[in-house]
Amino acid sequence: MTATLPSTSLDDAEHPQVFTGTPSAGEPGQVDAHDVCAWFGDRLVLETVDLVMEKSKVTALIGPSGCGKSTFLRIINRMHEVVPGAQLAGSVKLDGVDIYGPGQRAMETRRHIGMVFQKPNPFPAMTIAENVLAGLKFSRTSPANKDDLIEESLTKGGLWNEVKDRLGELGGALSGGQQQRLCIARSLAVKPRVLLMDEPCSALDPTSTLRIEQTIKEIASEVTVVIVTHNMQQAQRVSDYCAFFLAEENQPGRVIEAGRTTTIFGSPTDQRTFDYVNGQFG
Amino acid sequence: MTPETTTAIVADGVLSAGGQDSVGTFEHRKGGETSDIMPPDAATPQPPPLPPRRLPSPIRPSAFGAQDVLILVAAAMSSLCLVWVVFYQLTSLSGGVGFLVCWYVGFVVLTWIATAQVIERQVATDRVVAVIVVSAALLIVAIVVFIVLWVCYKAIPSIHWGSLFTKDQKSFVVTDPHALDQVGVVHAIIGTFEQVLVAVLIGVPFAVATAVYLNEVKGWGVKTVRTVVTAMSGTPSVVAGIFIYSMLILTHVLTYSGFAASLALVVILLPSVTRVVEEVLRVVPSGLREASLALGAPEWRTVWSVVLPTARSGVVTAVLLGIARIVGETAPLLFTAFGSQVMNWKGYFNHDQGALPLVIFSDVRQAQPVLINLAFQAAFVLMAIVLVLFVLARIFSRPKGKNGKRRKARPDDDDLMARMFVPIPIEQNEETR
Repeated sequence: MTATLPSTSLDDAEHPQVFTGTPSAGEPGQVDAHDVCAWFGDRLVLETVDLVMEKSKVTALIGPSGCGKSTFLRIINRMHEVVPGAQLAGSVKLDGVDIYGPGQRAMETRRHIGMVFQKPNPFPAMTIAENVLAGLKFSRTSPANKDDLIEESLTKGGLWNEVKDRLGELGGALSGGQQQRLCIARSLAVKPRVLLMDEPCSALDPTSTLRIEQTIKEIASEVTVVIVTHNMQQAQRVSDYCAFFLAEENQPGRVIEAGRTTTIFGSPTDQRTFDYVNGQFG
Repeated sequence: MTPETTTAIVADGVLSAGGQDSVGTFEHRKGGETSDIMPPDAATPQPPPLPPRRLPSPIRPSAFGAQDVLILVAAAMSSLCLVWVVFYQLTSLSGGVGFLVCWYVGFVVLTWIATAQVIERQVATDRVVAVIVVSAALLIVAIVVFIVLWVCYKAIPSIHWGSLFTKDQKSFVVTDPHALDQVGVVHAIIGTFEQVLVAVLIGVPFAVATAVYLNEVKGWGVKTVRTVVTAMSGTPSVVAGIFIYSMLILTHVLTYSGFAASLALVVILLPSVTRVVEEVLRVVPSGLREASLALGAPEWRTVWSVVLPTARSGVVTAVLLGIARIVGETAPLLFTAFGSQVMNWKGYFNHDQGALPLVIFSDVRQAQPVLINLAFQAAFVLMAIVLVLFVLARIFSRPKGKNGKRRKARPDDDDLMARMFVPIPIEQNEETR
């Protein structure tokens, strides 16, 4: 096993540029994953994933538990390496720049590729407004007009009307669904080019889920969305493209089939995809 | 009116009609049921209103009843008589403690025998274990209550509030047996305040930094450092005193001073606060750290802006408990602060200084009743300070609820306080991470 960090792909020499600052901040970006593998310790959990996540589109990663969807998602914004003992190989390019290339810093990458987690995690010691501005505070940049940014982000997150009169309250005072929308607003406030969502609705009730799905559709024009979901209907409702991951017994996870959501759900070419999307297993 | 509603009203009438004592409950119930099922015909006469069912009186089969109390009292009295006869009449033993111990053993044995006779043997064993456990708990409560009451009893009657908090022992006249209004412990209170304050200012940043290292940094040294910290918390406090004495005072780096005392107290403070803060940081959900990292925050930012603010009340509790831990330490002060009879708050860095524990230590052994009284008054002041710190710690250890107010106390609030004084097994620490 030769996987090391950062990966050395042949393409690196052709793309020596490093994205510094935010020249194209706010513009949706395209993510190309090529030959991505992942290990936890010595165990290979993800094998040679090639996937293109189109600009301004919603890509859903579906598949049964333990097939490496979340691991793949975390590789896209360099959160995989936070786990002790985690290794990876392959290249992930954001608009042609390898995020694992030499000179690329994880922090910089994460500002361009935001993430929303399964469990809503607003910072409990901060108010709603402070939560929205947290990302900017961390990167030591101050926006021209904080109030406008708060309103803009919360509006995009679909939360503004509910909280505009209580921005000074603690983030933990909101309901679960509201907290998750606050987390989306917090991620959007740093103007990422890609937003990753790791089962963002699995801890929420149906009404809140619907609100989040609306939010996803609304923000897709401004940011590329990659969403992991266990919910077939949700994948059908929100995504333009779909990738089916599967880890067969004692095998690492692989992408079985990827393409337009209508194709994956309507006329899949692989029998396993057909079985999964029709609820035959998983 | 539909038949159903009529029925309901009749049934209501039946229910509310009662009050009288009914004996034939079963019969009445049958009557009630028929009226429920069959809608009453307007033509047929109504049956007379029925009294309600009487509830059976509740019983508690496992309750500790009068008989059980009687057995315990009887066992206690019989044991008293038996031991008195054996102890003082048949043998020539003497001594209160021996008598008490023998009485307690006799009491337990007789309880077992009596219960075994009246009920049965398994219940008797159960009861005896309960008796032993309860008396152990009572003994501990009794000891604490006794200590507090004893200090109050010795201190309060002779206390002279006007001088206690305003005067030092400079004007104490050995020949005057009633000079309590001439002396006080203000020099010791100020000395203790300075020593503890500086110890906290030095120790707490170190302790928090170490706790952050143990919990947030996944380095090779974590296990070693944690073992060392755990071992350090077992350092006898007198050794901390000797350490500062031999390293800094014998080598003339420092003289006897409050600052030397502060350094010795830091040695005591560091491991206990480190451990509690580490515990507090561990309960910060890891999702918050991930959220912060995913927003592009560097790790130090994550700790400073997310982890520590989230754990703020716990850190405050840790500091308060740390103060409570060191404010009464005597041994490290003996050869560092050395003690003084006079107020010298300016001499913190270069002069002997008084401290509350040192006043107790030196004055309670004197011959003059004034000084003995003063020692108890110092003990009283010290206990009051510790009590206030514990109350504050309990309040701060409760996390704030959704409305921003602290919730009510729960039994597990004391866990943090217990951790201050009881070492956590290292293996357990490893498992939980």
